[in-house]
Amino acid sequence: MRVPLERKVLNENDRIAATLRERFHSHGTFCLNLISSPGSGKTSLLERTLEGFDPARRIAVLTGDIQTDNDARRLARFGFPVRQITTGGACHLDARMIERALADWPAEQFEILFVENVGNLVCPTSYDLGEEARAVLLSVTEGEDKPLKYPATFHHADVMVLNKIDLLPYVPFQAAVACENARRIQPEIEILEVSCTTGAGLERWREWLERQMRRSKPISPPKREDAEEHEK
Amino acid sequence: MSIAAAVLDAVRAETALRPGARATRAGLRIGELSGVETESLRFCLETLVSGTDLDPLAFDFEFCPWTRRCRACAITFRVADYNPACSSCGSADTEAAGGAQMELSYLELEEP
Repeated sequence: MRVPLERKVLNENDRIAATLRERFHSHGTFCLNLISSPGSGKTSLLERTLEGFDPARRIAVLTGDIQTDNDARRLARFGFPVRQITTGGACHLDARMIERALADWPAEQFEILFVENVGNLVCPTSYDLGEEARAVLLSVTEGEDKPLKYPATFHHADVMVLNKIDLLPYVPFQAAVACENARRIQPEIEILEVSCTTGAGLERWREWLERQMRRSKPISPPKREDAEEHEK
Repeated sequence: MSIAAAVLDAVRAETALRPGARATRAGLRIGELSGVETESLRFCLETLVSGTDLDPLAFDFEFCPWTRRCRACAITFRVADYNPACSSCGSADTEAAGGAQMELSYLELEEP
């Protein structure tokens, strides 16, 4: 007997991710999932991002690696709460790992929760972590055709951060070709060019973050005058 | 491998809804943009099934192409050569339609 089904293979992960997303939404937390190959500069981007924030801001980081807590130690220097998720072999984070990491953390107090995924351009793509937005990093020491070679990752990304642009004079990388390739896969993708070494482009990156954060604020009931305005 | 494990969890969960039934074949729908390579997934599935209660479960894969929908002429088209523009009218105003699927589409069951 053949039983037709429409069951998503990762429906248990998706269920936990939906619960996390609901939790983030209700508290106005902007959760960003950072994905890239190893060595594209996820941790460096987070270092430069954290050092630019007022220490009073409520920012937190979950950082995933197969082994070591090196990234958490690098990021903890900036005084914001950081927690390492060591996957012990798994090449990606999943929603249950995020749920466990947040179990005894006051996640509702965070304005931004950065989730640095395991360095891998394939497997993290399939796993929804409950994030509000997904950023993919590409660096100029890689190939311009990476968006074409890993289309799933770029297709699901909201923003591409092109990192290490200070090296452009020394490498044959053609930034315009890389950007065109990313837009062929995901025409709506935003693209930000940065250098975590010189700081170039980081202001635009921070502006992008602040814009996303404003969008993540919990929806409050309209003020009385707004409601009246609406009725007119 | 974790996707293969999730497939088998889904097979077991769906089979358990029908007491006494035994799954003999599972249909999987895999999209071009899912990030899953079907032959690798088949290898992982066969490895995980071997010697378990599910052995000898067979798998069928249905490939789902990468498609976009045109907002101008409303057709859904297959994306070729990474070109997101409409294959019919040429409009660049298109949106994602399909290709990300990773679904258990059917089970063949033997019932007592």
